[in-house]
Amino acid sequence: MKYLHFTLLTICIVMASCTIEKTDYGAELGIETTEFIEFNEAITTNSGDYNISIAALNGTFYKGYNEIRLKITNSNTNELLENSEITFLPILTDANGNKSSSPHQYNLTYNATEGYYSGFAVFTSETSTTISWQLYINFTDGNKTHAVNETIIVEEQTNKNLNITAFTGNDNAQYFIALVAPQSPNIGQNNLIAGIYRYNKPTNVAGVFPDATQFSYSIVDNYTLLLDPRMPEPSMGNHSSPNNQDLTQQTNGLYQGVVNYTMTGNWTLNFILKNEQGQTIKGTEVSTAFTPGIVGAKGELFIDILF
Amino acid sequence: MLFLSTFVNAQVVEKKKDSLGGVLDEVVIITKKNKIKTDLKMAVSVDEFLASSANISFIKRGAYAWEPLLNNMSTERSMITIDGMHVFGACTDKMDPITSYVDSNNLSDIEIKSGQEGGLHGATVAGSIDLKRKSTPFDFAKKWSGGYQTGFELNNNQFFNLANASFSDDKLVVDASISNRKASNYFDGNNEEVKNSQFEKLNASLGVAYKTTDLSSVRVDAIFDRAKDVGFPALPMDLSLSRALITSIAYKQFFEKGIVKVWDTKLYFNAIEHYMDDTNRPENLVHMDMPGWSTTYGLLSKINLQKGNLSSEVQLNAYNNLSIAEMRMYPQDRSERTMFAFSWPWVTTTYAGLSINNLWDISDTSQLNFGGSLGVNYNFSKYVEFNRIFHPNASQEKIRFLPSVHAGYNFDVYNFNFSFGSGYGHRAPSVSEGYGYYIYNSFDRFDYIGNPDLKNEISYEVNASAGYKTKKGSIHAKVNYFYIDNYIIGRILSLGSPMNYQSVGVKGYTSLDYATLFNFSINAKYTLLQKLHWQGTLTYARGLDDTKMNLPFIRPLSYQSSLHFSHKKFGFLTSLNGDFEHINYSPLYGEDETPSFKNFNVSADYTFYIKDYKTVFQVGAENLLNEFYSTYADWGNIPRMGRNIFTSLKINF
Repeated sequence: MKYLHFTLLTICIVMASCTIEKTDYGAELGIETTEFIEFNEAITTNSGDYNISIAALNGTFYKGYNEIRLKITNSNTNELLENSEITFLPILTDANGNKSSSPHQYNLTYNATEGYYSGFAVFTSETSTTISWQLYINFTDGNKTHAVNETIIVEEQTNKNLNITAFTGNDNAQYFIALVAPQSPNIGQNNLIAGIYRYNKPTNVAGVFPDATQFSYSIVDNYTLLLDPRMPEPSMGNHSSPNNQDLTQQTNGLYQGVVNYTMTGNWTLNFILKNEQGQTIKGTEVSTAFTPGIVGAKGELFIDILF
Repeated sequence: MLFLSTFVNAQVVEKKKDSLGGVLDEVVIITKKNKIKTDLKMAVSVDEFLASSANISFIKRGAYAWEPLLNNMSTERSMITIDGMHVFGACTDKMDPITSYVDSNNLSDIEIKSGQEGGLHGATVAGSIDLKRKSTPFDFAKKWSGGYQTGFELNNNQFFNLANASFSDDKLVVDASISNRKASNYFDGNNEEVKNSQFEKLNASLGVAYKTTDLSSVRVDAIFDRAKDVGFPALPMDLSLSRALITSIAYKQFFEKGIVKVWDTKLYFNAIEHYMDDTNRPENLVHMDMPGWSTTYGLLSKINLQKGNLSSEVQLNAYNNLSIAEMRMYPQDRSERTMFAFSWPWVTTTYAGLSINNLWDISDTSQLNFGGSLGVNYNFSKYVEFNRIFHPNASQEKIRFLPSVHAGYNFDVYNFNFSFGSGYGHRAPSVSEGYGYYIYNSFDRFDYIGNPDLKNEISYEVNASAGYKTKKGSIHAKVNYFYIDNYIIGRILSLGSPMNYQSVGVKGYTSLDYATLFNFSINAKYTLLQKLHWQGTLTYARGLDDTKMNLPFIRPLSYQSSLHFSHKKFGFLTSLNGDFEHINYSPLYGEDETPSFKNFNVSADYTFYIKDYKTVFQVGAENLLNEFYSTYADWGNIPRMGRNIFTSLKINF
């Protein structure tokens, strides 16, 4: 009798030890996203006595926002070129040979402590059989100007948290919104960072290619990006989250706000872009109604994310 | 009060043995025969047994695992323990009260204490329910004993088998039990099937005690409980599997001299896993899994002291609990990413407290009991980002001090007995109240959000009772009143939107300024003839919030009356119980008016002997008139069981 129960209990303990596994929360958050924090060399090229190297996150140019760090080394002296005037222009060539560009920082900023020149490029599409990208870089050493151009590969961005959208505003200008952070969101509060850019229509006739005035973009200043996150999944009934904050411009030019994600999955960031005067440039308010079975609301201006 | 007197009696018994034999035979002093049965039914579930107590009512979400309400307060406000051990359910929707992890054949008694008197095992407002396990005393002669009980209930095809066996000699005691219950869907009073109301439960327990010296013993106990395929008709989900392993090792030392009589120390561990899903609900818009885990380590150390006519219990409680609950929703396109969140974001509760209870026998006819406790409660939320969505400044850790005091005076005058008492105590918010995240409540259809920075709930309580006893009968009335500061309850939040598609909005746990609760019960017994006994109970309660609105889950005026007749080997019982109309309901908290109902029940038993083994056969019917009803606390107004004919057979050997 006694042994029977001991046996029984042993069996019970064995049974109790095999259970549904608890979710590994860290791994769960990384299923759809990878966070890159290291800058690696994405491309290097030589021009005369100079070696030009551009670093990007994960050593890759992706569709969407890319912060770039450029270094120029004099191969003779092996010294970094300091305080140069550097211009940076990405050019897209389509199947018909049409050339266009995308939002970028034309005059790179010199970072004296790190010895590199920083800027950004928002690639609007990835390299394909019909689309190629070239970088046109000019730099000065002393009084001499050097020009380099190099073909690059722009890879597909699989992380939806770095999505971009391009649209024509109510003022007929062409705008771009590119998500910059978080790369790998958490459930809870996230600092949502985005870049907002405008295409400056050329006012003069094109000069010799590449004429920077034909491919001019600028950071949109002092606008506000209103935020309303929703879950698109029909069973979530247009679920949203509380305590979100609209995006406003920071000193570094980027826009920052707060988005709360209540759970993992697909989310739609509904935006309304307003200019300094509070006039709507693009975007509509979305329904806040709880609508089980119906796809979550998407306004006129939105970006889908997934984590 | 009741328990203290039991304790004193036990001490007296022990003294006598001591003086007679000089050796303590009974190291384990609380040895009562199995009391877990009601007047109506001899084979009852733990829930049915608790339901027979006047200050217990139930929230029911199906046929299984009812949530006991003590003094009309839910389980956050009461302290439910197994032999003083803290066990915390792993279900965010409270589908697994601790009472669901034991069975009637591994318990010897359930001790219910009202209000702050129940503060011995930890901080409480409503009181305590301690489930006492069977423990056979050491015996000079080798002795085997056991029991077997089987039965069938017609309404839901419930078939159950309960067996228990004990062995004892002067050095070793073994208690073991095993039980199995399996039921299909039940039928309501309109003979309609209540879908998803089935359940299956397996419970096994083993206790081994070894006498290390004449005055000390070691006891190891374990309970294993497994429930599977449990339907909750009032919810959009069911329980696919729950498992509990509840273990302890205890050392008990008696002292022959001095004021310290017994020192009892216990280390315990329990782990609970509870997996809810909606695999059997194809009608649901979203497929969802809700697993939960609760793991507790604890220490309990108690000293019983006695000097003259003052006896005291001093108890140290310490435990650490980790509660985890997850929810994972599956999109309609299953290839898409699942949606995941924690509903309990790895919440740790650590508690340590010292409590004391004293009983002073002032005279043969009057006693004073008084005591108090001081506890420290520490909470830590590992993934506090969940809590910060609604409460951006929520603190990740929180320390609370939980003091309590109580006193009561009890005296007899001729055939009358009177008692007066008062109490004061704090309690910390529960894991759900503090850290819950989108916990769907299908009663009011709101998603609930916890607030880590809620204030302690503070209870002020007074109670009184009066009784009169003659040879032929007795009457006893009890009344208590609670004034509770910072009463925690869910209030509609203006922010956020529901996560569960069935819900209509989001509620956050908030503190009302105060709430008041009043409970009254009167119980009478009368012997009409030598073998014909009558018993009746009437209970009434009222709960109001700070705006004088009704609180939810307050039982309306209810009654119970039963007549018992025995003749030779036969016993007959009829009973009538019911609730009056639920007038003081609370629409604000999702309640609607519930009409009155009455249940008429009968049973008959016959005692006979198979060889020398006493055997009882019983047949009876609950809700004989097949009334269609649901009670004020039935989740989603699900109908209760219609006529249920039950049979059972019990053999003791």
